[in-house]
Amino acid sequence: MSAKIDFSKVSFLVVDGDKISAQVVFDTLSYLGAVSVRRVGKPEEAFRILRTQQVDIIITEWRLRGMDGLEFLDSLRNSTSSPNRFVPVIMLTAHSEQQYVTTARDLGITEFLAKPFNAKALYSRLVSVITRPRHFINTSTYFGPDRRRRQVPFDGPDRRGTDKRN
Amino acid sequence: MNEQKLPKVQIIPPRTELKQRAVNFTKGFDVDLAPEQLEELEKVVQRSSDSFVRSIGHDLTESRQLVIDAIGNADLRSAAVEKCADLAYSTKALGGTFDYPLMTQIAKSLEIFLAGRTTANRRQLMVTQLHIDAIYVILASRVTGFGTSIEQATTVALAKLAARYAEPRE
Repeated sequence: MSAKIDFSKVSFLVVDGDKISAQVVFDTLSYLGAVSVRRVGKPEEAFRILRTQQVDIIITEWRLRGMDGLEFLDSLRNSTSSPNRFVPVIMLTAHSEQQYVTTARDLGITEFLAKPFNAKALYSRLVSVITRPRHFINTSTYFGPDRRRRQVPFDGPDRRGTDKRN
Repeated sequence: MNEQKLPKVQIIPPRTELKQRAVNFTKGFDVDLAPEQLEELEKVVQRSSDSFVRSIGHDLTESRQLVIDAIGNADLRSAAVEKCADLAYSTKALGGTFDYPLMTQIAKSLEIFLAGRTTANRRQLMVTQLHIDAIYVILASRVTGFGTSIEQATTVALAKLAARYAEPRE
């Protein structure tokens, strides 16, 4: 018997100023059986919801009015007043060049998905977030999900120290 | 000798409540969707195609008029540039999702051209207008896929034109 995901037990918050884009994500989640899907266009509204309701997964665009998606992520992960520093965040954005991916990763994004996207890619990110929760790393310069995805064998006392020297 | 201490790293175990709540063996969608299920899911996305076409069509008309007005009136230029940059981004973002990858290519060219600009000169507005017209033709003629060699050549030509008139940036 294969594992299944009951999306009706997952609450989502979609942060995207583009109505069509937000609608596509909403329709996809609804089809999957999600019953708690909130849509907002601005990070300020997202914070308001995060303070009052349970949100399991955030799907956000990078390009937003006012505070952009990256500042939103930064506040979410690093602000002392953040309502939920550990919430998984999927960044769904047309800013897909490598430097954007790296920047988002270093600010604590959980998954990155480039627009234009297809349903399969969105589904795989959702599955990953739910079925493979990651360690969180807290250092003086980073707070967020473990950025190492590959399991690289290491034989030694201090891999991070080695990373730094190399 | 002062040895610099390495920063302390705190590793916090993953939170598993969400997984425990949502993953089961009886109800919901398979972790690995069957091809037919994926096809169904794709159809859900495509249902928004008409809304996309209507929305982009409306924005194109509005942006085109703003650009035409701005060509003759320098005071309107920053508003026109802002609106066109928004249009370029949303078209680039969703064109490919709805099987308009050519539209995404042209929108990307326009987005790069307008990136970081607060205003544009007359020639730059005309380059913007050509991009908008090209996107409009793709939309009106329902050119899905990557188009013919002529359409591809037009896209390349637009990108070259944009590169030629990219300066000055202000």
